[in-house]
Parts: sequence; C-alpha cells; structure tokens
Amino acid sequence: MRWLLGNELHPGGEATTRRALELIGLRPGERLLDVASGTGTSAMLAAREYGCLVAGVDYGEGAVADAQRAADGAGLCDRVGFIAGDAEALPFEDGQFDAVLCECSLCTFQDKPRAMSEIRRVLRPNGRLALSDVVVDRPRLAPKLDNALATVACIGEALSRDGYEHLLAGAGLRPTGIESRDEDAAALAGRIHDRLRGARVLGLDRMAGSPVAIEEAIELVRAARRAIAQGALGYAIFAAAR
Amino acid sequence: MTRSAPGPEVVAPRAASDAATPASRSLGHTQSICPCCGAVLDAELLVRDTRVILSRRCPDHGEFEAVVYGDAERYLEIQRFNKPGEHPRERQTETLDGCPRDCGICPEHAQHTCLGIIEVNTACNLDCPICFADSGTGPQEHGYSLSLEQVESMLDSFVRAEGEPESVQLSGGEPSIHPQILDMLAAAKRRDIPLVMLNTNGIRLARDPRFAPALAELGVHVYLQFDGLEEATQVAIRGRSLTEEKLRALDRCVAAGVSVSLAAAVERGVNEHEVGAIVRFGIEHPAVTGVFFQPVTHSGRFLADSDPLDKLTNSDVIEAIAQQLPEWFRADDFVPVPCCSPSCRSATFALYDGEDVVPLTRLVDVELYLDYVTNRAIPDLDVREALEGLWSAKAAGGSEPVAERLECVACATAIPAELRDVAASGFMVVVQDFQDPYTLDIGKLRKCCVSEITPDGRLIPFCAYNSVGYREQVRRELSRQA
Repeated sequence: MRWLLGNELHPGGEATTRRALELIGLRPGERLLDVASGTGTSAMLAAREYGCLVAGVDYGEGAVADAQRAADGAGLCDRVGFIAGDAEALPFEDGQFDAVLCECSLCTFQDKPRAMSEIRRVLRPNGRLALSDVVVDRPRLAPKLDNALATVACIGEALSRDGYEHLLAGAGLRPTGIESRDEDAAALAGRIHDRLRGARVLGLDRMAGSPVAIEEAIELVRAARRAIAQGALGYAIFAAAR
Repeated sequence: MTRSAPGPEVVAPRAASDAATPASRSLGHTQSICPCCGAVLDAELLVRDTRVILSRRCPDHGEFEAVVYGDAERYLEIQRFNKPGEHPRERQTETLDGCPRDCGICPEHAQHTCLGIIEVNTACNLDCPICFADSGTGPQEHGYSLSLEQVESMLDSFVRAEGEPESVQLSGGEPSIHPQILDMLAAAKRRDIPLVMLNTNGIRLARDPRFAPALAELGVHVYLQFDGLEEATQVAIRGRSLTEEKLRALDRCVAAGVSVSLAAAVERGVNEHEVGAIVRFGIEHPAVTGVFFQPVTHSGRFLADSDPLDKLTNSDVIEAIAQQLPEWFRADDFVPVPCCSPSCRSATFALYDGEDVVPLTRLVDVELYLDYVTNRAIPDLDVREALEGLWSAKAAGGSEPVAERLECVACATAIPAELRDVAASGFMVVVQDFQDPYTLDIGKLRKCCVSEITPDGRLIPFCAYNSVGYREQVRRELSRQA
C-alpha cells in the first residue's frame, strides 16, 4: 500500500500539510495536536518548520511507536510526543491545544460528530482546526465508486463540502476558510494508477494484502480519476475555529 | 476481464512565436568555434523566444547563431542532473593549445569514456545525404579500411584507458561490408567488453542469411539505422527506400536471437511526425530492445542547406514522442543522462507486457536519484548506482548489465515479489543530440563521454571528432599510410 502511494499518505503530501498549517496561522511556540498522526511526518514537520510543541495521537500502537522512534531519531523528542488513543475519546485535558491538525482520516472515525466534539473540547477558546479530507458530490459519483470497495480508499465515507461544514458547525466549530486541493487528488490518483499499471505489467494479479485483484483496482482508480476531472471527487482543507 | 486501456494524457503543443526581433535573456558565457575557420571564440547562451540559442562572432567571418535546445525552461530545469565527471584511468595527450585542440583525452577533459566508437572503414553501400561521416559507395577522398591488427590495438587502447570498458561500437562507413568485421567483433568480445555493438544500415543483415547467426554466436548487439516506416522519410534521409531490407534484417535478427536497437535520425519537416510510430514499432517488435533518436547532426556531408536556427533538438523530439504516444509517455518520463551534459541526452525505460507500456519513472522516483544538486537524502545508494548505469551512454536495452540493473532497481523499490522478468520487459528510449560546428559548446565538450578511438591510440570526444576537424585529420593520415 505504501508503495502505491509513493511518498504521500495523503494527497499533496508535505506541501498540503504546510498549506493547512498556514491557513490556520500556526505560530512558533503554539501547542498543536495531530489527530491520527500515522507515521508522524506532519507532526515532525510542524515542530521543525513552525517551531511548535506537537502531540500526535493515533489509534495504532505500532504507528505510535514508529513515529516516536522517528521523532527521537530526528532530534525532535523534546518537542514532539506521540501516544496511542481514540479520536472519539481523546486522552487530553480540555482546552489544552492552540490548534489541531486532522489529515485525511475522518473516514476512519466511526462516530464523526463525536470525534469533532472531542476536537473542539481539547481546543482552547478561539483555537483553530485544519481538517483536510476527500470531498465528494455523491449524487454525481459513479456507482462503482460508491460500493464497499471504495471504503478502502476513503471515498465511501467522504462527505460533501456542505457535509463537512455542517459537521464542523454541529460540533461548535466556526468555519473560517476552505481551500480546494483537487489537483493534489488528481496527482495522487494518477500516481496510484501508474503504479497499479506497473504492477500489472510486471505480472502481478493482486497486490499483497489487497482484497481486490489488480484489474478491479485499476478500474476503480480510473473511475476516481474521471470523477476528479468532473469535479465529483476532490480534496480540500477546511479551517475552523472554536 | 478485458484489459482497460490507460486514459490519454494530452500535452498541448507549444505555440511557435513569430516575433521579428524578440528580446533575449543571457544564460551565461561559454566558448564555441567559427563554423568557417574553426577559430575558438567566446560565445553566449541566450534564451530567445523560449529557445536556447548559442551566439558568437568571428572577427573574420561574422556572427553565427544556432539553436541548441528548443525548450529553455526544460534546459534550465535539467541542469541539476549533472553528475561530476570521473577521471579516466589514463590520458593520451597533453594540453598544448587548449580545448578543443588537444584531443584526446587531454588533462582538461572532465569525464571518462562510457562508450567507445571505432570506425573501421569509410566505404558504404549507401550514399545518405545526411552522412556526418562523409561515407559512400564510390571512391572516397581519403578513404581507408582498417586492418584487424589496427582494430585490436585500438581496443587495447580503450581497455588501457578505462580498465573495464562496458560498451564499444564498431561503425564506419558501413562496417558490415568490411571483410574482417566478424573477427573485429570477436576481438572486442575477447576483451570482456559486455556490450559490443555493430552500427549498421542492415543491408548485409537482410541479404546475407549467415550474418545474423554469426552475430548471435558472438553476442553482438545490432544498432540498426531506422529512420521511419514511410518511404518519403527514407528517400529524404537515406537517398532511397529501404523498408523491405530493414524489415528483412529484423526478421533475421529475430530468427537468430540477435537483439537490436533502432537508431533513428530525425529531421525537421521530414520525419518528426513518425517518432511515435517508430517507438511503437520498436516496442512491439520481438527483436528490438530500444530506440535511439538523433536530431540530424549537421556535419560532414550535410553542411550546406540547413538553417542552424531551425534544427530539431532533444526537447522537440521528446515533446513529439509525448504528443504522439500520450497513453504511454509524458515529457517528464525522459530524464537526462547525468554522465555527459544534461542537454546532450535524455532517456527513459519502459516496461511492456504485450499490451500496456509503463515507464519506469512512474514506479521509481528516478529524478530524485539522479539529481546531484538539490540537497535531498537518497533513500538507497544501490538503487542510485543501478540507475546511473541505466541512464548512461553505455547502456542499450537487452544487454546483461542493463538487465541486472533493472532487477536491482525493481527489487530495491519494494515492488512486491513474484515479478515477472523485469529485465525482459524493459525497453529503452533515448534522445541524443550530437554537436556540430554550429552548435559546438566547448563547456559541454569537456564532459563528453562518447569517444572515437583512433588508430594511434587517442580517444577523441565524439562531438569534437565531428566538428573540429579530427575526422578529416585521421582520414588523411590513414589514407597516406595505405
């Protein structure tokens, strides 16, 4: 899976992470929480380039251990710390953070409104959230993208623009800006398409650990690329404040 | 389930500008020569009208300009793919008069030799209008034909200079008509040079049924002149239609198990519309492991009527390939070869399974590995080394070193196990622009890694050989001795 995505675990990679942090005006010395911190790349970027104190929380204990090792190795352990935890029950005090970053992970939260209200809870008053995720215009989405397979690629659970804004508002978070990153989605889908084609050309029928055969995966990516080109599928950063 | 074709990725063609006196922007200074008298002159590289122009003034013969790269933006972008040169084991000449008078290799040269070329004769069975080696069917002025002993001695010079040279090409004239060509190829193989190539128009291959099997037995790779499938192309570039012979030559190679690179001269207004078709033909042909495109070099016989400002360059050919085969290639799949100067040569490797073509650049971040300027960490130095061997003037598809390097890259880039034969499915496409008296940039010449080997044991950078008078000098000396 990692090979398919190349260097980026979310569309746009580091460039989009920087845009998200710029959108919420992250300043040196602020306390940032990265929800679903994964490999820790974004948390370390925020510490290194924005001079923040960063906590990363992720559901996977393995991911947390790896991220901590990476941060220690990068000499950032005095500014970055990772702990295992659930987005729906964040292991932090109220109002502990100036800002929260949540990238391409909303689709993994079972109870999205709960996760949003937890995020609000740990933000101080006027604290900011940058949330980036896949955006869909579901009525315009081809049926094959809507079936169970699409859940693997975060499409099945994605919301529309309005959907994200309602979700944020419902949790008491005031939208302050949106930036569309559809080109990033197109580029990432293109890269995945190329790599799947490459694997197929080299004789693979199925990627290790994948529930679908390569031919089906290629069909899915092609459908996603068409949807992105038509504006039915995309990626965006949502900025909000408590 | 039927195979789904990849979606087209259309690249919009760059519009030509018609400005009468467009503004120029300087990219810096270098040296060049006067195309008339050969005097070494200060020269300037300029961007004009989105192209890179080389400009200089001879006090006796006036101003001369030539286009050296059609896409100035790409020209600047690729300068980072420039690997510092490696010293040759041995240098053959001293510095007396300065570059390019002391070839070679002299102490001022900044690169060893990746590919050695030996021109075994001047006679040919064609009279191509564009011949930069000024060869042909009739009596040749200062014509020569090397002896086997001379070729053996030249090969030994090459081995002394390099230690373990990887690639050598026998050329001419038409080397296949030299009576001792097989012995000469055998001599190269005996010196453990992994890639021994025969540069040929294929006429003997087509007509002599024993020739291909003999090449197969020696393990020789054929570098076959192949400018296009259309008759008009061949007549314009070679003087007559050759399709039947080329196809028959290729059939013989398939039957004998000889691997072939197609070498296509590309000329504006003649066959740039065919480059996509040539690539497709090559990829689909069982004997062909790569295509080398060369914008026609305006040297030798072909000086008179061409306009140096209207010449095709590498970026033009790359764009043409991407426009004509959008489902397979983009311009950014072609990465400069770092051993010479970045504007000299760009290449890609494509993986093909009989239906789909996927350039290696889509699976591996080749640009990251071959960038020697931007300060980024290289994930895997073994992969870098393998890619340096693939993106090199010494590489041709189908050869053993190339196969091994492709395997290394595939394994190390965590493509999951159970690969089919990566090496067998690799196909090389190269675009290479050799300099001529109008486009000669002495800065680039210093890093040239393709050398003509001379009978007296010198290694002369290929573009100097063609542009500065060394070819003529060697021919005069050889024909005097005969």
